[in-house]
Amino acid sequence: MVGALILAGTRKGLFLLRGDEDRREWKVNDPLLPGWEIFHAVVDPRDGMLYACTNSFVYGATVHRSSDLGQTWERAEELGLPEESELKLERTWHLEPGHESQPETLWLGGAPGVLFRSDDRGKTWEPVRGVVEHPTREQWNPGAGGMCCHSIQLDPSDANRLYIGISAAGVFRTDDGGESWSPANKGTAADFMPDPYPEVGQCVHKLLVHPSRPDRLWQQNHCGVYRSDDRGESWERLDGNGLPSGFGFPIALHPREPDTAFVVPEEGAENRVTCNGRLGIYRTRDGGASWAERPNGLPAPAWLAVMRESMASDRLDPVGIYLGTQSGSVFVSPDEGESWVEAARQLPPILSIEVAEWQ
Amino acid sequence: MILLPSLLAAEAGGQGRFESDAETVEQALRELPVENLLFDERGELRGLVNIYVDGVDMRERGGLSAPLGEIETVRVVAAIAGG
Repeated sequence: MVGALILAGTRKGLFLLRGDEDRREWKVNDPLLPGWEIFHAVVDPRDGMLYACTNSFVYGATVHRSSDLGQTWERAEELGLPEESELKLERTWHLEPGHESQPETLWLGGAPGVLFRSDDRGKTWEPVRGVVEHPTREQWNPGAGGMCCHSIQLDPSDANRLYIGISAAGVFRTDDGGESWSPANKGTAADFMPDPYPEVGQCVHKLLVHPSRPDRLWQQNHCGVYRSDDRGESWERLDGNGLPSGFGFPIALHPREPDTAFVVPEEGAENRVTCNGRLGIYRTRDGGASWAERPNGLPAPAWLAVMRESMASDRLDPVGIYLGTQSGSVFVSPDEGESWVEAARQLPPILSIEVAEWQ
Repeated sequence: MILLPSLLAAEAGGQGRFESDAETVEQALRELPVENLLFDERGELRGLVNIYVDGVDMRERGGLSAPLGEIETVRVVAAIAGG
């Protein structure tokens, strides 16, 4: 049997939830890494190593890794920013396993708007100078969560092509393995700036590449939901026709259907809570042309918030959709959004959700 | 003797007490396996890490360069803040 394993990163440690075959019953483990804020955790599908972006208001930002699903941990030995950058690492935000052809490589995003690369499976990390020294950096501004590099996406068809999302700097693409980075924000709005369509400065909230059609990107932005079919060269805004709001943080994709996506709209930037007094998950199956709420099993009335890293999808059939709330509940749909179960409640505030498979 | 709070002890493999022959507070702290949690990438002691030398705030004993000659305990204490 193959089951799903949820990694719920919280303000107070990492929780693992193991599901039954139907993904409707879940067992919650005691928290791992107590005392640490877990901004993101992920199992590297290439070797089963568990990584966590760990932050402490006293002891700073780092990365932990475990080869035994959290029974024992090692901490990164080298992680920091060069003195000449005049920047200090503030937070670690997102860890992305590298391309299949580079089994030792990992990527790490952090604040203030920085990217690191490891070529020894997370033991040591080198800052990516093309991002740290990006010529547009002076035009970037931090959002409410700091100036975070929260999205790192690989093109599975080309090991040299990656995308990052930084709030509020926008989306950037490299075609040369991380040496140089070009803004990829054409058509995405920055309504909060004097020029609403600048080259950089957009507040991307979450960026995803579709795994089976890697020229297609999706993003939930501060100013709308967008899709690109040309590797980020241009973006189409998609938040009409069924969505109650263009504002939100996470987005999830169906791994085999490029036209299917899930979002959790919020009222707006000044009232960051789910719309209409309920937890509304909206699904499109036509590339964003239309959206429909999938409420079966979700709480109402409810005024909740789901953070940018707190939604994920698995690769099972049917696809499971997972989300965690700031109020400590984990909701799972084992059937692509048709119905939902509450897998856990009363956890600490949830910062991130990832899902892995276990046997 | 260097004494660590529980989170740092967990990061040091469960060990919360360390013997030291170091000559200064800074040398003693830098020998610890949690050195990179106490000091940032510029080598500066993190702002919310407090050090007490035989019960007295390190800053009253000369700071990180304070000699450890007759000192019995160096205690690492996280600032009291947060929620």
